[in-house]
Amino acid sequence: GQKGKKKIKLKTVGQRYFIDGQREKKKQCDYPPCLLTHCESVDAQKIAFLLRKAWTLYSVTPLFRFHRARLTEYARLLSAFIAAEKRKGLAVEVGVELDIKVALTSLADLRGSELDQAALLVQLSSRSQASSRNSEDKLVWSGWFCSMFGDDFSENVLEDFTCLPLFLSHGAESYTTLVGSWFQKTFDCCFRRLAISPLNLSWMVAMWAGCKLDRAASAVELVFSVPCLSQPLDISYAIHPEDAKALWDTVQKTPGEITQEEVDVFMDCLYAHFHRHFKIHLSATKLVKVSTAVASAHCDGIVKILHSQYLPGVLMLLTELAISQIQ
Amino acid sequence: MDETVAEYIRRTVLKIPRDEIKMLLQKWGFLSEAQLQTLNFHQIKDNISQEVVQLCEENSADIKQAAVLDIIYNHAYQNKRMWHVYQMKKSGEDLEYFDITDFKKAFKGRLRSALKNVTITFKEYEDNAIWIRVAWGTPNKKPNQYKPSYVVYHSQTPYVFISTSVLKSTLPLLCQALMVASNYHDIREMELRSHSLNSLKDIVFKRYSQNFQTHSPKPVKGGNVEPEKDIRIVEENKSEKERIHRLNQEVFGSGPLPKLEFAQYRLETMFKSDPKMDVLDKKEPFRCLVKFSSPHLLESLKSLAPAGMADAPLSPLLTCIPHKARNYFKIREKKGLFPEGFVSP
Repeated sequence: GQKGKKKIKLKTVGQRYFIDGQREKKKQCDYPPCLLTHCESVDAQKIAFLLRKAWTLYSVTPLFRFHRARLTEYARLLSAFIAAEKRKGLAVEVGVELDIKVALTSLADLRGSELDQAALLVQLSSRSQASSRNSEDKLVWSGWFCSMFGDDFSENVLEDFTCLPLFLSHGAESYTTLVGSWFQKTFDCCFRRLAISPLNLSWMVAMWAGCKLDRAASAVELVFSVPCLSQPLDISYAIHPEDAKALWDTVQKTPGEITQEEVDVFMDCLYAHFHRHFKIHLSATKLVKVSTAVASAHCDGIVKILHSQYLPGVLMLLTELAISQIQ
Repeated sequence: MDETVAEYIRRTVLKIPRDEIKMLLQKWGFLSEAQLQTLNFHQIKDNISQEVVQLCEENSADIKQAAVLDIIYNHAYQNKRMWHVYQMKKSGEDLEYFDITDFKKAFKGRLRSALKNVTITFKEYEDNAIWIRVAWGTPNKKPNQYKPSYVVYHSQTPYVFISTSVLKSTLPLLCQALMVASNYHDIREMELRSHSLNSLKDIVFKRYSQNFQTHSPKPVKGGNVEPEKDIRIVEENKSEKERIHRLNQEVFGSGPLPKLEFAQYRLETMFKSDPKMDVLDKKEPFRCLVKFSSPHLLESLKSLAPAGMADAPLSPLLTCIPHKARNYFKIREKKGLFPEGFVSP
């Protein structure tokens, strides 16, 4: 969660902002991202694998004595670990015996600034022993470590440590557990599921609703849950993207800057419009999911990024959440 | 027996939960009790269905009988399908005597005159419900038994419940045949859909307890013997709680409510803000789509005000669902005298 005197430095045009208590929280965010001049241009091809997938989020404490040069060796060790765990009876797949191949890749372009560590991608592929030698490997699980403008965090860390505070996984949870255990054992780090609070979800929907998009965009949707009634109730509130953006544009006072107050006003407007029609206080319910053309996020810590253009911005926000959870 | 019929029967039996197979086969009545006794219901379903197919082979089952089995399955598991409600209109006032034989003949006649390849099956149930199953083909292809339409018609009413085939183009023809057979001149779809067929019937046949403007007896203070209460405990907002309870009773009634799973509202109203907030003040509608979902929507809406999540009385947009018999709405701003009101076309 957010703590009182937290300092969040967001690199935009070389300026820094400080948080002074919760109410005055300012975030400098660059939309459109062409202003993120020091984010290395992200090759669309390389990051295509990130888009339109549901990623489960974790925070990861710094890795001790992790060496980029040893990726092949680590891949071999992880592969052996997985094979050993399977022999122990912690089988992941029932039926056909699967041979798991591990690949570790560095994604040099996927970082915010020079001070960030390059992202690290882990991929598990399977080749069924029953099929022919020439059959292609099938990707069964992927996970990647990332730091997008997390330099505030890495600054205060000792030399032997590598900071990649955000981890995203896609695939069977049993594989996530295997990979996570190996990293925890090998680099003395700690993985924790990253939940997203309603407060952070409302930041996300406000920010993303304001993004300018060239193509026809999907609706800005907020999903609320009211569990503690005689019968549970879910409410989906979807707003036409042009109308949501028009509302946000009148709320946001300074371009490139978003305050907590502005997010509150935006949300209050949506709540008031809803209340006018249905006499229901959405603010008393639980915001569990937000969805826009840029990205969608669920309170259980599951995110889908839909637009490559805003990838750095989304990752920056998630990195910040991960760091908050670690500190 | 035709291979396709055998396969169809096999697949239908596979859909049935193992514990229910015997009962549904008995309802079907195509296999004799003696034959049913030979079936081993304690093996895996794959084997049970194979055995059933073998017995059907002995009795030379054809597609007509297989279709009846399918109706029986869908009647037993009617809540797996999504049902749409249609209302028919008669031109004249005369109450005609409904003859089931005439109805079936006219229905089949109308469909067959348009389409050579159709499988039409009827089954009548106790509550005056006529179940109709139609499998659709083309001039050159035999009917696709796996994508049929189901119609439930209560002959004493103008209402028809349809669970359409995914082949949407068949709907107009189906509606035409219904009108011709039942002697109505018009049919329109109501904005009412649900998985719970019985709840839809409850709503259109007004079988649920409706709101009553009554003189509900106020709680008698001190009249009844109340358990020993600690006088130091004061119930907060007692009168407010009672007010909410009374309003809920007036609107929702006190009996069980029809079971709907969702309600959808397409809002095209203006965004109105507090002037001092200095936000959006467009002349165009603020377009939204709101969807409420719950295993039992009306019950959950009823409990919102007592839980403090909503004002009482709840908005008429929500409370009108049962008596307006709709759960799909399009809401526009009402012009003129009452700017706060809404129009639902």
